[in-house]
Amino acid sequence: MNRWFAVARGTEVPRRHVGHYLLLGQELAVWRSDSGAINAWENRCPHRGVRLTLGSCEGEELRCRYHAWRFASVSGQCTLIPAHPGQKPASTVRVRVFAAVEHDGFIWVNLAQGESPTAPTRVAHVLDSTRSIFVDAPLYAVRETLLDGYPVDSTASRLAVWSKDAYCLSAGNPDHAALVTFLLQPVTDFQTVIHGALHTTVEETARLARLRRHNAAMGTVRDEAERRAAAATGGGATA
Amino acid sequence: MIRLYDHELSGNCYKVRLLLSLLGEQYERVPVDLHPIRENRTAWFLALNPHGQVPVLDDSGFVLCESNAILVYLASRPGVPDQWYPRNDVQALGRTARWLEFATRLSGIISAARNHDLMQEQADIGALRSKARSLLRVLDEHLWFTEQAGRGWLAGEAPGVADVACFPWVMLSGEGGIDRLPWPAIARWTDRVKRLPGFVPMSGVFPASPGL
Amino acid sequence: MSIPNPGRIEPVLWDDWHPVAELAALRHGRRLDTGLLGRPLTVTLRADGAIDACSGPHALPHLDTRYGFVWACLGAPVRDIVKFAAADEPDRIPVTGGSMAVAASGLRAVENFLDLGHLGYVHQGYLGEEPHTDIKPYTVGPREGGGIRATGCRVYQPRPSPADTSGYEVDYIYEVHRPYIVVLYKANPVDRTRMDLIALLLQPVSEESCVAHSFMSYPPHDVNEKSVRGFQQLIFGQDRPILENQLPKRLPLDAKAEISVRADSSSAHYRRWLSQLGVRFGAIPQAPA
Repeated sequence: MNRWFAVARGTEVPRRHVGHYLLLGQELAVWRSDSGAINAWENRCPHRGVRLTLGSCEGEELRCRYHAWRFASVSGQCTLIPAHPGQKPASTVRVRVFAAVEHDGFIWVNLAQGESPTAPTRVAHVLDSTRSIFVDAPLYAVRETLLDGYPVDSTASRLAVWSKDAYCLSAGNPDHAALVTFLLQPVTDFQTVIHGALHTTVEETARLARLRRHNAAMGTVRDEAERRAAAATGGGATA
Repeated sequence: MIRLYDHELSGNCYKVRLLLSLLGEQYERVPVDLHPIRENRTAWFLALNPHGQVPVLDDSGFVLCESNAILVYLASRPGVPDQWYPRNDVQALGRTARWLEFATRLSGIISAARNHDLMQEQADIGALRSKARSLLRVLDEHLWFTEQAGRGWLAGEAPGVADVACFPWVMLSGEGGIDRLPWPAIARWTDRVKRLPGFVPMSGVFPASPGL
Repeated sequence: MSIPNPGRIEPVLWDDWHPVAELAALRHGRRLDTGLLGRPLTVTLRADGAIDACSGPHALPHLDTRYGFVWACLGAPVRDIVKFAAADEPDRIPVTGGSMAVAASGLRAVENFLDLGHLGYVHQGYLGEEPHTDIKPYTVGPREGGGIRATGCRVYQPRPSPADTSGYEVDYIYEVHRPYIVVLYKANPVDRTRMDLIALLLQPVSEESCVAHSFMSYPPHDVNEKSVRGFQQLIFGQDRPILENQLPKRLPLDAKAEISVRADSSSAHYRRWLSQLGVRFGAIPQAPA
């Protein structure tokens, strides 16, 4: 699918950290080189299949935990095989890499291979973002739940939510000025992450309180979506 | 002289080894053969700890069992910087006690899941994993808001025994088949712990690359 | 009466003996619920010292003990339980190293045991260390009596065994006796003319899970059973997370499925030998040409 998905807030993938993410069932090792390049790689060393998220990020290279093979940022090309340090690794020894960019405060990944991916849709005026919420429910259940309204206020009424496209929804005031934009990340067929972009600023003293309010509201959405998904599959517990 | 009755693969022993190493303490390790010999059930060991569990600390004749108690004791000795057990800051002390309780909950559930997966012990593994998930969600949420407030540690401005108590069981959750993928704030915190001066790994825990 | 084999598991595994429990664990009152080749298995020690094993309603007809472990065969045994000639020398000291379940194919565990390149990283400070990471050429060929044998494997080790306090270059011989049985010989640190033996005995529970049992046998020089066992558990505890993070969990036998280099010669031979033997359980077979 030639489409960009937000998988993390940019600040949540600091340098020297290898983040473990899933997008459409594809496991990803997401890391930032010291020079700032964002990498989203297949989470598997081409040598013996070990998850690269076990490995470590050392400047411009990621090192596999098992045999310390090193792979270069951006290209995924193997630069060193310590068992044979004198030999230059063949050009075929490389990790499968996916297109990844950072903008509007998020890291976006496109799993399409061999096509020239278009630029991600911009999310206008992102001034802050909420804690991303992992939901044990398929994307459709999360969408449906969100469209029933966003319970961010302590009042009984819920904010109206409208859909921009299949993976992007907004919640806001009656005049439809978006207060928060939800970016949905399909993790697997039965798991979803909700990212929230905020479009207004508040004073630093009120900021944490606002983030907590959103976190609680998104948690309510999560619980409801998980309840619906469990009811739909006829099961009790979630997956 | 500090002596630690120890087993390499025990998460609770690792807590103590980790703190001793972070504090730069020299100590003697006395391995206790748990599998399959169960030396912890022999008379000499039960005399040390009637619960029959490692770790047990012997500090020049002062014998103490229960890993969290050992952490509190080690961090409260004269000369140890206040940050590890903030006994002069009541709120930080309260938060520390809260996360020590959390570590106990976490270790109960994760050790049962790990014994199921590693030692083929009987357990309702689905229920254990679901409980572990609820606990890790609380931890991830707490750590995310901690980061937003410009801090990086469980109970205060600096790393303390609360972090040391929780770290082993978070790291060993994978050995009980508990997925940490949903919890990125936990992953960043474990990187921070691994980069503390004096950090030591255990079998099943890998070190991090040097930070910037 | 034999155990039903609905999965039509290949006779080379079904009619062979596999380790299913460590005797010492049973002696300490353990009723063990485990599995073998996809079938459930319960092993108990009766008060009279006899061992019972059953798979569902079926009592296991073929059960025996050797090297401190209980061995079982689900089918009709076509050969004896594996024997290590060195371990049968009369003055030898046998040590069992315990049993650890792993969420990965046992074939992955055998391959990891044969692997030289990871010693300096996964077992850093014990079985290898930087900068001694280059793997010198070694020889792999068929083993007399079946299986494969790798000789001339030389690795610098900072602490090759619990008896050692300093490092030196160690000479290894590896032998794969059966698809799930692998053994390593290295010169004894006290008597260099005799070999320490370390065997990894894999119990194939399912295609993607196993129990790793270890058995060691030493010449009679200062063998501290407890420290040997502790060391073995420490080392295997370092391997286990690697094994559980390999994707796929079964061992791919197709040479093109994973990139190999010269240091992986024993792995390449092992995979080829498994293909020739027709081993499918725990493997991803080669695609037909």
